[in-house]
Amino acid sequence: MKPKTLWYFGRETGYGLWRNGWMTLASVSTVAISLFVLAFFIVLSVNLNHVAGVLESEVEVRVFIHQHVPRPRELKLMNQAKHWPEVRQISFFTKAQAAHQLQSEFPDQKDLLQLIDQSNPLFDGFDVYTRKPTQIAQVVRKFRASPLIQSVVYEGVVAKRINRLTQVVRVVGWGIEALLALATLSIVSNTIRLAVFARRREIGVMKLVGATDWFIRWPFVMEGVVLGLVGAATADVSVNYGYRWAIHAAVTAMPFWPVAPLSLVLQHTVWVTVATGLFIGALGSLVAVRRFLRV
Amino acid sequence: MIRLEQVDKRYGNGHVALSGVNLVIRRGEFVFVVGPSGSGKSSLIRLLYREELPSSGDVYIDQFHLTRMRRSQVPRLRRQLGVVFQDVKLLPQRTVYQNVAFAMEVLGASSREIQKRVPAVLELVGLARRKDSFPHQLSGGEQQRVGIARALINNPVYLIADEPTGNLDPDTASDIMRLFLEINRRGATVIMATHARDLVNQVQRRVIAIDHGRVVRDELKGAYGHEA
Ligand SMILES: Nc1ncnc2c1ncn2[C@@H]1O[C@H](COP(=O)(O)OP(=O)(O)O)[C@@H](O)[C@H]1O
Ligand SMILES: [Mg+2]
Repeated sequence: MKPKTLWYFGRETGYGLWRNGWMTLASVSTVAISLFVLAFFIVLSVNLNHVAGVLESEVEVRVFIHQHVPRPRELKLMNQAKHWPEVRQISFFTKAQAAHQLQSEFPDQKDLLQLIDQSNPLFDGFDVYTRKPTQIAQVVRKFRASPLIQSVVYEGVVAKRINRLTQVVRVVGWGIEALLALATLSIVSNTIRLAVFARRREIGVMKLVGATDWFIRWPFVMEGVVLGLVGAATADVSVNYGYRWAIHAAVTAMPFWPVAPLSLVLQHTVWVTVATGLFIGALGSLVAVRRFLRV
Repeated sequence: MIRLEQVDKRYGNGHVALSGVNLVIRRGEFVFVVGPSGSGKSSLIRLLYREELPSSGDVYIDQFHLTRMRRSQVPRLRRQLGVVFQDVKLLPQRTVYQNVAFAMEVLGASSREIQKRVPAVLELVGLARRKDSFPHQLSGGEQQRVGIARALINNPVYLIADEPTGNLDPDTASDIMRLFLEINRRGATVIMATHARDLVNQVQRRVIAIDHGRVVRDELKGAYGHEA
């Protein structure tokens, strides 16, 4: 494309957006709000994934062995379990170690510590890590089948529930987003339609002297794309500041909650909002100019 | 060369505007299309720049077969034509110069070409001194000159005009007519729909008379005639 032509398109685009000031503002805001909502659901789902991920990596199956079982039989069971395909890692702890861990976790619980010192009521056992969270149930079943095992404790249920919640959030998010996208598409398209209407005389002259359809369309398509991209940028800036604030609030209110870091969130939101903004802008303007520009 | 073969034009409401029109117009000719109001002059003109398609029959202009060509080819046809209307259709927010330059700009002409050609054409139509005026600051005759300059700016082979003097007083109309003659003398083919009887009779050029959508007379060096 000749620089002269490019300059012409740029000028026409800017002029069109400027002349439709309020409508431009309205559609940029709509695009921004809709993309912000999209980003919100992404942020939610990124965070749920993050929590689930953190939980999964920390999840262990804790297996306690009956008090009367002698040490060699305990170790034999551990060596068997080490070869189960689901097991990634397994380690043995004695009831003394368990007591020690309790003491360091709850140094202020005087009564508890005294009780442990006098007669350790805890068990020997294993910490077991599976290769995949979905294998936890299987491993639990296998351990429970052994007569040596007193009890099995695991946190897989929580991880599973969070995964299910993530799926729900995604489905709801996409549903809401689809509706918003339609609304956004329609306002972008109407903005461009106004711009086309404002320039109907020019368009008439252009057609008459033999300008090609695409030459006539380009400035309008670019207007739509600019609307979409400015809207996306606005949404991203809001997400950036909003999420900083949310992290701050979360850290104060729930210090142990694993919040996904800002960079991780932006990694997911920025390209989706920009791509969606671009798509909605271009599609909205194409819809708008399609009918008008038939020769 | 422009050629119409057995052209009928029926509008959506069933109104028959043209029927059985056969015509040949050669390059370099000056042709009047005359006839009373509602006889089908504008309908004929609109077929020529492919604003409308005939209901049946064929229209050819040079290598273009208007009734068969693809839509994407229409711009190429239109670049061979200059079209002038009774209501000029100028862009009110642009100056005389900008109105004319616009028609070059949207075909991708370079600034240098534009700066060279626009003043020359404004000179030809006698508006060089008014190039920075806006349309509302011009008289009807001056506005029509801008319209003609715009139609000429891309060097059309055919200049097509639908009642270009319709809104003008007789003296101004006669000036505009002289301008068309000058343009024709410089090589453009001119096709002008009009019902300005005196002007047609003055200049003694080919006259195609239409009545109720039919060509009722086609004379070289004709006059307006009695049927209109
Ligand atoms: N777009 C249209 N739709 C329906 N009827 C039309 C249209 N344009 C013209 N006509 C009819 O066709 C006939 C010829 O009109 P027109 O070509 O404008 O004649 P002229 O230009 O000689 O006055 C008239 O009866 C007019 O009412
Ligand atoms: Mg007419």
